[in-house]
Amino acid sequence: MSTDAPHTGQLPDDAEQGTSLWADAWARLRKNRLALFGLGVIIFLCVVSLLTPWIAPYGYEQQNLALGATPPSWQHWFGTDIFGRDLLTRVMWGGRMSLMVGFVATGVALVIGVLWGTVAGYAGGRVDAVMMRLVDILYALPFMIFIILLMVVFGRNIILLFLAIGAVEWLTMARIVRGQVQSLRRQEFIEAAHSLGLSRWRIIRKHLIPNSLGPVIVYTTLTIPSVMLLEAFLSFLGLGVQPPESSWGLLINNGVETMEEYPWLLIFPGLALAITLFSLNFLGDGLRDALDPRSSKD
Amino acid sequence: MALLEVTNLKVHFHTRNGVVKAVDGVSFNVEAGQTLGIVGESGSGKSVCCYSLLGLVPQPPGRIEAGTALFDGEDLLRCSRRRLRQLRGNEIAVIFQDPMTCLNPYLTIGEQLIEPLLYHRKTPRKEARQQAVALLDEVGIRQPERRFDSYPHELSGGMRQRVMIAMALIAEPRLIICDEPTTALDVTIQAQILKLIKDLQHKRQVAVIFISHDLAVVSEVADHVLVMQNGRVVEQGEVAELFSNPSEAYTRKLIASIPDGAKSAAPERRELQPHPLVSVSHLRTWFRDHSIGLFSPAAAKAQRHIKALDDVSLRIERHEILGVVGESGSGKSTLGRAILGLAPVTDGRIIYDGRDITNLSARAMKPLRRRMQMIFQDPYASLNPRMTIFETLAEPLLVHGLANRRTVAAQVLALMDDVGLVRTCIRKYPHEFSGGQRQRIAIGRAIATRPEFIVADEPVSALDVTIQAQILDLILDLVARHDLTMMFISHDLGVVRYIADRVLVLHRGQVVEEGDTGKVWAAPQAEYTRELLQAIPRLAHVQP
Repeated sequence: MSTDAPHTGQLPDDAEQGTSLWADAWARLRKNRLALFGLGVIIFLCVVSLLTPWIAPYGYEQQNLALGATPPSWQHWFGTDIFGRDLLTRVMWGGRMSLMVGFVATGVALVIGVLWGTVAGYAGGRVDAVMMRLVDILYALPFMIFIILLMVVFGRNIILLFLAIGAVEWLTMARIVRGQVQSLRRQEFIEAAHSLGLSRWRIIRKHLIPNSLGPVIVYTTLTIPSVMLLEAFLSFLGLGVQPPESSWGLLINNGVETMEEYPWLLIFPGLALAITLFSLNFLGDGLRDALDPRSSKD
Repeated sequence: MALLEVTNLKVHFHTRNGVVKAVDGVSFNVEAGQTLGIVGESGSGKSVCCYSLLGLVPQPPGRIEAGTALFDGEDLLRCSRRRLRQLRGNEIAVIFQDPMTCLNPYLTIGEQLIEPLLYHRKTPRKEARQQAVALLDEVGIRQPERRFDSYPHELSGGMRQRVMIAMALIAEPRLIICDEPTTALDVTIQAQILKLIKDLQHKRQVAVIFISHDLAVVSEVADHVLVMQNGRVVEQGEVAELFSNPSEAYTRKLIASIPDGAKSAAPERRELQPHPLVSVSHLRTWFRDHSIGLFSPAAAKAQRHIKALDDVSLRIERHEILGVVGESGSGKSTLGRAILGLAPVTDGRIIYDGRDITNLSARAMKPLRRRMQMIFQDPYASLNPRMTIFETLAEPLLVHGLANRRTVAAQVLALMDDVGLVRTCIRKYPHEFSGGQRQRIAIGRAIATRPEFIVADEPVSALDVTIQAQILDLILDLVARHDLTMMFISHDLGVVRYIADRVLVLHRGQVVEEGDTGKVWAAPQAEYTRELLQAIPRLAHVQP
């Protein structure tokens, strides 16, 4: 990065790329240790999840009924469950599922929600009314009925899981973004952009979205863990993940039932989720600050 | 003995970036029945100075480092919070700048007015109401009985400021601190409010501290004046003495910065051409009034539109600066925006360079956008906070294909030179600049595409006087160098007189007067123009 380059008459090399908000954001993020730590943990978890089929110590459905539930030991670092399955392996496989659901469903919600909200807020008037009434209608649809309908029509399917979760999560995102954009739209710099003759798409992309990012990022970091828990709930209902496959939510759910006898069955998946959540929050806060040029004085 | 004696007051702010000496050793006295004017530009510490007396400076980061402030013998800086609370509102009252944000929108004005009486004085409700109504009458609010039950949004800006004054007076304080009480108001309203403050002060013999950035206003109301800069007192003295014979260079600079006198060297070069650059005929812009619903009385329904512009016709010749003057709500901003296609047009025609551009689609308008630009009032709001100066200035060049990625850097640097920005700032964000520098950036963005016509909507209203003078000169310089035609919108008649060749006076969406600036000033034809000109505060004690 060339942020430390002397700012004399000469232009910094990356100035011509026109991406300096992101470049600067990265430079600021690198100074935030907590956020970097969060980023590191998340990258680590993702890498482990990707490599799980090759590095997991046991098979995720490999049972050892004779062994039963044993506490952590050198053979089984996280212990085993009542079927004698290695918990570390199951947490790793569960992480694959949970992180995938968390990131993909949130990503889908983010893209749809931000675009929908920005367009509605920016267009205003009738377009806005129609778009937001649609959001209201979807909000009003009882979640359970929606899911049962999906199950009846399509049967159990992992893609449905993303669909169902994405379909609820983008609504709130759209509302948040719309509110932001509505207040931004009246600002003079948007009017200035109009008078410069910028296209609407460019105004949305360059002026509106970057300025509404703060709350979006915070909400995103809140959405990822809630999506992971939603997945556990859906799996519990029979949509989504079924044993012997695993996910963190499912493991925690099962762990709760045997909490008194075998606490490690709750503790380890719970820890995995908690660490992810913490890291996401650190990263989210860091990102929000990094993307706001006003937040740091350097 | 003076009512308030402040000696060697020091208020510092301890921020992450070091100590800011907001007030650095200030001393002054205020006598009962007298007005002390405190003048200074933004950041001079004039407000902090007074708020620290009332314990209204947030601590931390603020800290009162030294000094005493004897109010009737009692040191305000060493009072308990409890005692200060008793003093505030009871003995010392404050009138703030913005009468809209200082009133609670959910309570009637009467309710807010009698609050200190009920709270500080334990007055019975009925009696409090009588007092409040009498006071509303005294500050010049008509039908005070009815207005007592009005909500703030039902009152105009001037009325709200009267209510604020009534609120300040209700507990019969001995000292009133007015912090820019007329800055948010129109000139004619400002004149009324200033008169009201003076009258009430003489009648009640209270002491007043009047904080303002406007020297002319201070010279009208104050007996004694304090000039502040960077937290220090530059000069103080009797008002007549100080303004007619300023001893310090800074005071002289402030006085010299007031746009005064007509445009120097009126350019006689503009020969009337058959085709003006812009010609507007019978322009109407009506907005639907959303407060009128289905069940409103028929009389209200008959006028369900707010007539922002009502039959406005004008011509702007090439290379002239047309000043557009009017008070808030006169439609002057709407007029500028309508010409640029940023506000809707209900009826009428706008001809630009021989071409009808009324209600043109965004696509059809785009090639014209390069030729007509706008400068906005608030340089804090008109720049995208997440774009660097480079991006802000490069955007119009790239969008209109006037530069490619290789040449854009050089062009941006040339633009920065043009508007007087230091080249090294190119990678900075708007929040790192002062108001004046930001306005330079905004001006740079407007001239980036080498337009021929610019609408400037109150471009200097948000700036300090000395900065204002610099920006006005920059605009004049750019107009001359780039052969620009300009529509200069302002509520400030002094500024318009300084910059415009011709002037147009708008009142309630209609043109009441139009003519050469010099002629309009010398012999205004319309009654409203005369009123406006009379209302301008002048440096009362300076010989022309």
